[in-house]
Amino acid sequence: MAGAWVFAEITRDGPHPAAFELLAHARSFDDDPTAIALGQGATEAAAELGAHGAATVYACDDPVFAEHPGRPAAHVLAGLIEAEAPDVVLFAQTYDSRDVAGRLQGSIGSALMGNATSIADPRHARAEIFGGTKIVDVELAGPAPTLILLRPKSIAAEPTGGTARVVPLEADVPEDIRGARIVERHEESASGPRLEDAKVVLAGGRGLGGPDAFAMLDELASVIGGAAVGASRAAVDAGWVPYSYQIGQTGKTVKPDVYLAAGISGALQHVVGMKGAKRIVAINKDADAPLLAMADLGVVGDLFQVLPALTEEIRRRKGS
Amino acid sequence: MAVLTVAVTLFWRRARSRLEVLRAARPAARTDHPGERARRELSHVLGQRKLFQKAAPGVMHAFIFWGFLVLLPTIVEAMLAAIDRHWTFPYLGHVAWFAFLQDLFATLVVVGVAIAFTIRKIQRPDRFRGSHMEEADRILLAILGIVTTLLLWNASRIALGIAGHPAAAPVADGLSGLFGAGRGTEVAERVLVWSHLLLVLGFLTYLPRSKHLHIITAAPNVYLATNHPRGYLEPLRIDLDSADADVRLGASVATDLSRKQVLDLFSCTECGRCQEVCPAWNTGKALSPKLLIMDLRDQVAKEAPLITAGAAGIVELQPLVPNAVADQVVWDCVTCGACVRECPVDIEHVDTIVDLRRNLVMAESRFPNEAGAMLRGVESSENPWGQSASARTDWTASVEDIRVLQPGDPPPEILFWVGCAGAFDERAQRTTQSIARLLTAAGVDYAILGPRERCTGDPARRMGHEYLFQMLAEANVEILNGAGVTKIVASCAHCFNTLANEYPDYGGAYEVVHHTELLSALVAEGRLRPDPAGGRGSVTYHDACYLGRHNGRYDAPREVLRAAGAAAVEMPRHGERSFCCGAGGARMWMEETEGTRINDTRFAEAEATGAETVATACPYCFVMLDDAAKAKGSAVRVADVATLLAESTLAEPGG
Amino acid sequence: MNVVVCAKLVPTGTPTLGPDHLVVRSGTDAALDPGDEYGLELALQLTEQHGGDVTVVSMGPDEAGQAIQRALAMGASRGVLVSDPSLRGADALVTARVLAAAIGMYPFDLVVAGVESTDGYTGTVPVTVAEILGIASVTAVRRLEPSDAGARIERMTERGYDVYECPLPAVVTVTAGSVEPRFPSLKGIMQAKQKPVDRPSLQDLGSRDLTATQTVTAVTDAPTKAGGEVVQGDEAVGRIVELLAEAKVI
Repeated sequence: MAGAWVFAEITRDGPHPAAFELLAHARSFDDDPTAIALGQGATEAAAELGAHGAATVYACDDPVFAEHPGRPAAHVLAGLIEAEAPDVVLFAQTYDSRDVAGRLQGSIGSALMGNATSIADPRHARAEIFGGTKIVDVELAGPAPTLILLRPKSIAAEPTGGTARVVPLEADVPEDIRGARIVERHEESASGPRLEDAKVVLAGGRGLGGPDAFAMLDELASVIGGAAVGASRAAVDAGWVPYSYQIGQTGKTVKPDVYLAAGISGALQHVVGMKGAKRIVAINKDADAPLLAMADLGVVGDLFQVLPALTEEIRRRKGS
Repeated sequence: MAVLTVAVTLFWRRARSRLEVLRAARPAARTDHPGERARRELSHVLGQRKLFQKAAPGVMHAFIFWGFLVLLPTIVEAMLAAIDRHWTFPYLGHVAWFAFLQDLFATLVVVGVAIAFTIRKIQRPDRFRGSHMEEADRILLAILGIVTTLLLWNASRIALGIAGHPAAAPVADGLSGLFGAGRGTEVAERVLVWSHLLLVLGFLTYLPRSKHLHIITAAPNVYLATNHPRGYLEPLRIDLDSADADVRLGASVATDLSRKQVLDLFSCTECGRCQEVCPAWNTGKALSPKLLIMDLRDQVAKEAPLITAGAAGIVELQPLVPNAVADQVVWDCVTCGACVRECPVDIEHVDTIVDLRRNLVMAESRFPNEAGAMLRGVESSENPWGQSASARTDWTASVEDIRVLQPGDPPPEILFWVGCAGAFDERAQRTTQSIARLLTAAGVDYAILGPRERCTGDPARRMGHEYLFQMLAEANVEILNGAGVTKIVASCAHCFNTLANEYPDYGGAYEVVHHTELLSALVAEGRLRPDPAGGRGSVTYHDACYLGRHNGRYDAPREVLRAAGAAAVEMPRHGERSFCCGAGGARMWMEETEGTRINDTRFAEAEATGAETVATACPYCFVMLDDAAKAKGSAVRVADVATLLAESTLAEPGG
Repeated sequence: MNVVVCAKLVPTGTPTLGPDHLVVRSGTDAALDPGDEYGLELALQLTEQHGGDVTVVSMGPDEAGQAIQRALAMGASRGVLVSDPSLRGADALVTARVLAAAIGMYPFDLVVAGVESTDGYTGTVPVTVAEILGIASVTAVRRLEPSDAGARIERMTERGYDVYECPLPAVVTVTAGSVEPRFPSLKGIMQAKQKPVDRPSLQDLGSRDLTATQTVTAVTDAPTKAGGEVVQGDEAVGRIVELLAEAKVI
């Protein structure tokens, strides 16, 4: 039985939801995976991690991990790995966990694989490359444990109803290796992520008919979470939204996971700014709109009905 | 005599500074085809052709100009007569017809000045905004003074019985009634001739520093004007391997300007005809071609001592942008050439603007951010949108039998140059498809280059990136020559202009026609038979700058529309005076945030004709006007001439 | 402030994989990774404001010299290219070891990289480099200015940004859109030809274990997405929700 560890990222709101998915991955080849939870709220999170299949949870509530992201966590992990010798450590492909994994690789010299979508065993995993058009199977060599970054939402979390054994950890992090320190935190949840960074971009065009309709996109964005609102040049030229919203040749270039265009016909000026999106959804009442033809999902319909209904449906799903 | 010497010395001293500035400028190779230049001199200068583009001001200027030409001997006569009352020209001084001409033209000058004051003081056209109005008044008063003293002097001579043929000079003769025959008139005659003389000499000394210097510079400026079609830009050869980092990259400081460009500055009369037609100025932008020239002139004049002081002075020169001209002004230009066409003294504003851009882009990398994507696209993907070359033939999917010329294939009779817009832009693709179907229907032997076609380099060149243009031109010429192409049909007016006028500089000499010309010929030959009964309703044709004004192609698109059964209505500004769509000069790739939008302005003009369709002949115009139509929610359709022809010629829809 | 910028040559078109499961390099157009231009721009702005030089370091095939030339044309003052046939197919660890060794040969206060490469997007190499060099790191940076403690850094988060005090030297990765990369002037391109480009060998770097720890054993086409589907208003909501779920964003 391979020893699978899961790095359970502890956020200010508790364990990152991806931690439960990692446990589901780990349980596909280790019935009793171990979770490592570092940061304030780690001990408290142990129960939830146990309920998702973690047999053991190493927990440390020291604020050093939140104050100095990355380096102290890698340091503690490295020490623990030396003592316990697991076969694999799974990380979520998030900014924070990725930094821990990268650090860890530098110190222990193990193989590190990014963007994995599934894992067969500690030495074999699978990833998508070239914008999801190819799947590669990868074999990992080098000293144990291997380090694998899994894309969040690759599989669903599975509650097991179990209980974890909690092992408290001491954070023994020397001052000189703590690295950068957070001194301020700014939340901009109202405005959401920047267009260039957002995983989901909702863009409105001339079909929205006026500035007020952008409120529908704003609402949908806040329901989805992690979504940003953009616009075509026509909507910007009409003065409905500021230039900073503009996507296209003379505006921003975006490459989100999902690009949803509402009332945008798809002039070349616009298309060049969003063609790198992994999935494109276009809503237009004109069945001849060029963007419908290039979309993965084209919706011929009235956006004033589709958008509110979509918002309602996602809210209902999230609520349930 | 002393007065004359002083005046001439002063004049010379002041004029010499201007001359030295000219000499310090870059030489301009503008003396080829002297016959053509002489003809232009006759028509533009002697014939005042461009001045007559505006009726009243044209008459005004012609009266004064021709008046002074005729009166020149009279002024010389007055100078000599100031010393010897009885001196006169051997022959001219004794014939009645010359006396008549003197009298007539002196009077016409007075009328001219009166018209000028009427225009300036009563009509007050907007084109004078920013011009030096008081200076103009002073000059006009001086002219009036010179001519009235002349007339009155003649009158006094008639009264004294010195002048012959009083009957041939009715105006002076009438005025002679003011004078008696006594001693008083003799004194008056002396006073008048000296007043005249002093006014003339005073005017002479004033001249070199005034905008009225054009009476000297205009003729050479017209002579040195380009013989190329107006869409042509002079190349700036850049050899990166041999060039050191100090190579001249466009115009940074005053001495980077060519002699023609400097002479342009000294020729401007601030008449504002350019400003009146400028799309940028007319839609509330910072650019006025007149103010641009004036501002450059003022800086050059201010820096004249540095310019003429040699190397030590030249390093002290300040960059023209932003000291004389703000950055935004340089980027506002659509290179439509309306200013150049209007200018009575053949100032070439666009060439100077592009030279300023060349320096900003190539030396300083300073340009509107949003245009960077175009340059990157042209640089890395060889098209402004950064699309992949393999997508150049995507439009052929719905058109049968398009021959893509492969290396080694025999050349077609005509190469269809699709252009980047025609290949990649979904709306322009419809035009491309229409053209292809029509050519096929007419049995034309044609082919496309497909993925081997690259951007002609026009957007990069108009943006000022001469080097990028040069690389693309050389690469395209190599492909075209290698394929044995001799004749090209282009659908984009910008491609057309570049291929036809600019590629010869890079070794690519082809017979280039625009698709509207080819289609018009095919209709005339009966190879395409549109059904005029199909009726395309009322159509107004928008002249593309790079097809019309820049290249003189006005008739072919209109002929095609007529053949297609369209009832043509013209916009107020059409043909040579067409108003730009707003996309030229790489403006297609920049945001337009100041004032009203040029495309909206133009579309409103088209819509006001009541036409059901606006016909275009260039993909840029098409996209710009179609955007404007959609923004307005207008029912007016925008379509290319080729699409309209296809609809009335082919059984299946045109695109 | 001396800055080392890591630059990567990436394919510009759609790359193809050879029988060895590695990207076919010959005939593939490649350019400086657009994601690296942001870091380079930030580095150039820092040195322009605070003095110092920018050195650009790249590991890759000989063609990676293009990426270095581009960086030099933008304003970097020195290029370093580590190119060795044995490095073809190098994984994240090998890359990090080589880069760390090369960076260590030059004086620096800051190492700048893109957040993740446009072709591989693993995004761990810069922090691994930082660990090997034993210095601090901050990823996903959108702003950086020198401070008493070293640098004041703004790092993007899911919900906004955090401000860090970071000791120098450090490694940072810079997000797209944080600065507007300059378009190199022709003067810059000409000057770039005169600038030094060092080509240290692996022996020069004294790199130790450079065995790749990852091997691609199979490449298969991903199941084609249900692309080009067009639905009418009624089924729209359900299908959009399904697509969002497939994309793992809800």
